Amino acid sequence: MGRGADDAPLYEPPAAGSYALPALARVHARELVDSTGARVRFPGLAKGQVAVVAFVYGSCHDAAGCPASLAFMRDLDRRLAADPARAKRARLVCVSFDPARDTPAHLAELRGLMAPQSDWSFLVPASQAELAPLLREFGQDVAALADGSLRHVAKIYLVDAALQVRNVYAPGQLDPRLVLADIDTVAPPR
Amino acid sequence: MKRWGFAFRGSRRLAFGIAALCLSLGGSAARADETCLSPYLPKITGQEDYVYVYTLGVPGLGDGNDKLVTLGANPNRPGYGKVVSQASMPGRHEAHHGDFTDDRRYLWLGGLDTSEIFVFDVATAPGKPKLVKRISDFVKKSGGVVGPHTFYPLPGRMLITGLSNAKDGGGRTGMVEYSNDGKFLRTIWMPKEAEYGYDVRVSPDLNRMLTSSFTGKKNYMRPLGDLMGDADAMKKFGNTMVVWDFHARKPLQTLQVPGAPLEIRFALGPRHYYAFTSAALTARLWGIFRKDDGTFEAVDLAPIGDPAKPPLPVDLSLSADDKYLFVDTFVDGTVRVFDVSDPRKPVVVHEQKIGAQLNMVSQSWDGKRVYFSSSLLANWDKGGADNEQFVKAYSWDGKALAPLFAVDFTAEKLGRPHIMRFGQEGFWARASGSSAAE
Repeated sequence: MGRGADDAPLYEPPAAGSYALPALARVHARELVDSTGARVRFPGLAKGQVAVVAFVYGSCHDAAGCPASLAFMRDLDRRLAADPARAKRARLVCVSFDPARDTPAHLAELRGLMAPQSDWSFLVPASQAELAPLLREFGQDVAALADGSLRHVAKIYLVDAALQVRNVYAPGQLDPRLVLADIDTVAPPR
Repeated sequence: MKRWGFAFRGSRRLAFGIAALCLSLGGSAARADETCLSPYLPKITGQEDYVYVYTLGVPGLGDGNDKLVTLGANPNRPGYGKVVSQASMPGRHEAHHGDFTDDRRYLWLGGLDTSEIFVFDVATAPGKPKLVKRISDFVKKSGGVVGPHTFYPLPGRMLITGLSNAKDGGGRTGMVEYSNDGKFLRTIWMPKEAEYGYDVRVSPDLNRMLTSSFTGKKNYMRPLGDLMGDADAMKKFGNTMVVWDFHARKPLQTLQVPGAPLEIRFALGPRHYYAFTSAALTARLWGIFRKDDGTFEAVDLAPIGDPAKPPLPVDLSLSADDKYLFVDTFVDGTVRVFDVSDPRKPVVVHEQKIGAQLNMVSQSWDGKRVYFSSSLLANWDKGGADNEQFVKAYSWDGKALAPLFAVDFTAEKLGRPHIMRFGQEGFWARASGSSAAE
């Protein structure tokens, strides 16, 4: 995305702080279950931090869905790892919206596959009852289809320390440089 | 069953998978449904089941209200070529354009006269859309933008172009953003050197947004004959397009495109860095091309019909393979199909009269079906026997259009049909009694 046939960038991203990112929604802090089975705070942000949140599930085989989100998050993880100062201001979080089938053990498998190099956690709501309000607050649509798959439009969210959603991204249409610029815009270096 | 099956074959396969995935997602084309929609809308594959038609009410015809009409579009389902359902809004608002939210669950529709916005649920029962929300404070919340025209879904939000303003009813206007649940986010006024607005399109690959320019409410709500006889009013039409940094929503460049450039269509193919528009008053087809230095140029490509007459080009539709550009002209009710394989040398390969007047055109993703509707604006539509109000469906085989079905919106007591959007049963179908979102 954002590159020509010769892999040269097709544009320069706008300078961080040169544009506005008004809040789209406010979410609530809550506890989710991590890949060790422990309940942890989500998004668990300190002052001056942002979270990049992707909703995924283990049985997704839509190339434009969860695989695209995970591929993007992995790219972002590596870019953050290469910039420790910025990495301190950003947390990556993948949240499963299939608590019935994505157990902590399965999250641990995914974590192993992704091999995070920055602050990247893999979480799941403890139950279906805890899932619904979470999806509603983020505006993440999900519907269970007759074949057991979960129809959803893959989205990635930028959340600030005040728990405001500041941007929403479509992972198949996204240049990671823009997300990095947004991180620096919302959580600027001190 | 193994979880994460797409990534569960070892790190080497994962790396390959990610690379392959990135290649497959290289073009925004794969994400769009009927070919002219936002690249952020999920794709309905295969046969559309419904055509949703936003229809302007006519006093004394049926209930006289604006309405969302649903036509059956699948020959293998009941109701093919017929009115399957209709849902009326209260009153007449100059029904014009609208579009889905990025999850295709809701259809937002705007009124150019009252600036009311109506939101329909099209996911719960795709054959029977239901009005679920009404936004009545668009003008106030936006700080005076009037006439919501193009509704353009972005991730998590709706971008809406205006046509006019509350201060003087002229063409100065802006774009307004709402969250998907109807919360006003911000207004972006058009730049001073290019104050008028109309359509908006985004190229995520280029991080660029294009806008075009029409005229203000004092003009578009005025009877066309009166307007054309007022030389001073006729000067108040747009002559510009703006190139924006999409992510920052900042204007970068103003292009001179005289004669009211209207609908914009970006090419869909990977590395096709250009768009088309038509100038309504000069009847010319224009190309907007990205240059090697990253700036854009506007190029006058070809006449549309006989500009001396003039036919008033209105809607465009570009095929998914960037080969055919369907251009409707209102006055002569004709569609001209340009071969735009060489985008700088468009050639008319087919021309066909559809009706006495003609406006919108929408095609299926596979390009095999093309739909047309008749109404432009209540005060600009023709009178008498020429006031044909229809939706007509055709097949297209690359050479000619062959009729499939036609719905007479006057005989059906519906009104003036305008924008069309496709629907499909089963897109959001739930397993019985369950939904992860409930």
